[in-house]
Amino acid sequence: MKSQKRKDAFAKLTGKCRFLDDYTVPDMLQGYIIYTTIDRGWIRKINFPAGFDLQEFTIVSASDIPGKNIVPEPVNDQPFMTSEVVDNFGQVILGIAHPNREILKKFISLTRIEYERRNAVTDTKECLDNEANQFGEIMHLKHELAPTYNLRHLWKWQQIFYTQHQEQAYLEPQGMLAEYNIEKEEMKITGTMQCPFFVKDAVESIMGKAVKNVVIETSEGIGGAFGGKEDFPNLLAGVTALLAWKAQKPVKIVLDRKDDLLITTNRHPSRVDIIAIMHDQNGFISKIDIDYRLDAGAFQTLSPVVLHRGILHATGGYNIAEVKIKGSLHRSNTPPNGAFRGFGAPQAIFAMESFIDNVAHRLSISPLRLRQLNLLKTGDQLPTSQIVTENHLQDCLDRVVQLSGYKKKFTDFQEYNKTNTVKKGIGLALGLHGGGYTGNGEKVLQSRVKIVLEKNGMVNIYVANVEMGQGAHTTLAQMVNSIFKLPPEKVNVVIPNTSQTPNSGPTVASRTIYVVGNLLQKLAERIKSELGFADLKDHIAKNQNSFPQSFEEVFVPDPADDFDDITNQGVAYHDFSWAACVVEITYDPDLYQIRVDKCWNVLDVGKVINEGIALGQVYGGVVQALGWALTENIYKKGYPRLSGFTDYTLPASLDIPEIKVEFIHTNSPVAKGLGEIPMDYPAPAVRNAFLQATGIMINELPLTPERIFAAQGRSKK
Amino acid sequence: MTISFLLNNEPVTITTEPMRRLLDVLREDLKVRSVKESCGEGECGACSVILAGKPVTSCLVNIAQVEGIEVLTAEGISQTPAGKILIDCFEETNAVQCGFCFTGFLVSCWHYLTTTPVADAEAIKQAISGNICRCTGYVKIIEAVQLACQRINKEQSHEIS
Repeated sequence: MKSQKRKDAFAKLTGKCRFLDDYTVPDMLQGYIIYTTIDRGWIRKINFPAGFDLQEFTIVSASDIPGKNIVPEPVNDQPFMTSEVVDNFGQVILGIAHPNREILKKFISLTRIEYERRNAVTDTKECLDNEANQFGEIMHLKHELAPTYNLRHLWKWQQIFYTQHQEQAYLEPQGMLAEYNIEKEEMKITGTMQCPFFVKDAVESIMGKAVKNVVIETSEGIGGAFGGKEDFPNLLAGVTALLAWKAQKPVKIVLDRKDDLLITTNRHPSRVDIIAIMHDQNGFISKIDIDYRLDAGAFQTLSPVVLHRGILHATGGYNIAEVKIKGSLHRSNTPPNGAFRGFGAPQAIFAMESFIDNVAHRLSISPLRLRQLNLLKTGDQLPTSQIVTENHLQDCLDRVVQLSGYKKKFTDFQEYNKTNTVKKGIGLALGLHGGGYTGNGEKVLQSRVKIVLEKNGMVNIYVANVEMGQGAHTTLAQMVNSIFKLPPEKVNVVIPNTSQTPNSGPTVASRTIYVVGNLLQKLAERIKSELGFADLKDHIAKNQNSFPQSFEEVFVPDPADDFDDITNQGVAYHDFSWAACVVEITYDPDLYQIRVDKCWNVLDVGKVINEGIALGQVYGGVVQALGWALTENIYKKGYPRLSGFTDYTLPASLDIPEIKVEFIHTNSPVAKGLGEIPMDYPAPAVRNAFLQATGIMINELPLTPERIFAAQGRSKK
Repeated sequence: MTISFLLNNEPVTITTEPMRRLLDVLREDLKVRSVKESCGEGECGACSVILAGKPVTSCLVNIAQVEGIEVLTAEGISQTPAGKILIDCFEETNAVQCGFCFTGFLVSCWHYLTTTPVADAEAIKQAISGNICRCTGYVKIIEAVQLACQRINKEQSHEIS
């Protein structure tokens, strides 16, 4: 069956869709920021260049803030702007606006900041290896069923895994347009963002009582986000609003690529230590002890939430009787890390999936057999004591093994590699991802959605969830229309605007379709039964006087779902999505280079609403994960040396393997989370394929030729 | 400096600094929205245009170089027969995601389709290797171009017979 076409495709292909940089309003000033360019220390002096008329510029610093100089986040510790203390590269010192962009850029490039430097922690390992860098709350998760072992034939093994920063690299850099209406004392922000209501909180925080009303709207097009436009927009919108308020003119800031790369949030680097007690013959894991650490950067911001998801995914798709997990944040003098597709799960799953293959390699047993032996099955308990009621992981694994011809290739490649210089490898990995906010998050959020049936027969959907490329607005409209059965062009999602859109929560956590979409569908069903129509078009035409009519619905979680945030016991996620992946690689030992040839993905994401869009999510997620696995790297000893895309190696068309995707159990009544799971598992599958090809255990990402060269040297010694 | 060129088949004349980027002149002076700035250093292809018949990144071209030359952007391409076929195929395969890079892809793919319409995945990969997309993993873009190649070849064989 053909998938319904995306509503936004034509406008995006012809240049008609407006992205933020396409917005202009009368009297608009160009805005920009000056940020810290040392890692730690103090700002001592700001020297503006001579030859400019300072009267033409609007300049704001921390001292101009009428409200609070704190970005609202789960942990309120990051200032919008700094005037003295420097904790990381990329802190905003000044906002500057001018009518002419060329003059503004010249002025900024000639402005000199004098600093006094202090010692800084910028190296990921230096940060994560030293417990003195720990900050914030330490999280614990303990789960003990009756011991499944007797003391004979036991083997204890410890392994340490590291992952690096990853840049979201959405193609559209971040930007904000702030318009201040003096009469109404209203601040309107239009911008690139995933969470309009977070931005509203942020602008209200920085402006305090200086403005009466704050309205946030997303730009018509949002050019990719992947988590990168989850929390940084709070800061950028705050500074842009401050500029517009002081200038009393509209101000637009669009970041340059280099600045976007250097100062916005990235994926957290991680160190994960796994100690497992196993049967020394077959690798059955009886007990596991995981120490999960994230480099949060200079401030905690939303890192505790990432940490939380990380520890809740740390045992992956395995059933282990005794589990002890500790999660901690570490501080470094780098820009705060934030949300990125996967949100702590990819780091945890990389460690667990790599560990499984290391064990299989040590015991000379098949990684597939080891997985089957330890696999999480329906009825088993997760470390949170949550009983898994619907687990199709086994089906995913069986199907991916069958599709890829894993078993035969595994032995064929072993033979092939005995006589060939260029090696072949095949690797497995499992994935799981909890849909929606963690624990009681959805209970607290109480998402609200609204559907308006217009007089002219149109159906308008009001949700706070944005269209950032993932296809949400097409898919959500389709879910509503599965009840109304109108022509697709009659059902639309309105561009989110906080003055008319109810708060259906942020566009994060694989929750847009799973929480908001299913809620909309429930509302559409209610509307249908309340109005009692057989044909909605007819019904509106015959009862013109009762339209427009507006309907709202609030999310009510399953009353049986209970989660204890202290002990981390209970239902962490009402529904998990499951996946299994096989990756086939060729490794050239002369070039120390891995080439991914094929990648098979079998996923259970429940009901698939729009197959074309869903496939696009998996393809895109897989390729991002391959970039993380192989080439993407930001920090080279110390602060980032990036000047642009030139030295951040993103996957291009020639780098991609043949990617096969199959969705299973799609007859489920519920559409589950999909956006993030494709990021969770491909990296360890590549790494495991490399282990099969070469016998070299590398427990770190990315698998660059430099890292492989170094590891090969070690393994030869 | 006064510069005249053909923009999407319309003659334009502007007076500006010769060293300004074609990208800026198109966006700021001529209000051509399809041309996007993403990396600003010729790496990503979001600002691609057809210049004298070849796809180039307009962030690396100075306006002075364009004197007397024909420039084609996604706006112009979308009016051509091959452009229309491509747009249909991108829509039908649900290849578009955030779309910020897609006007650039339209330019590269249109060039491919109008010069070598061969539905070969490897050749298409080569043709779009100067365009970065972070959303799609390229799979559906390649699929859409293959479909467009098949369609254009079918149309041409119809014309001959």
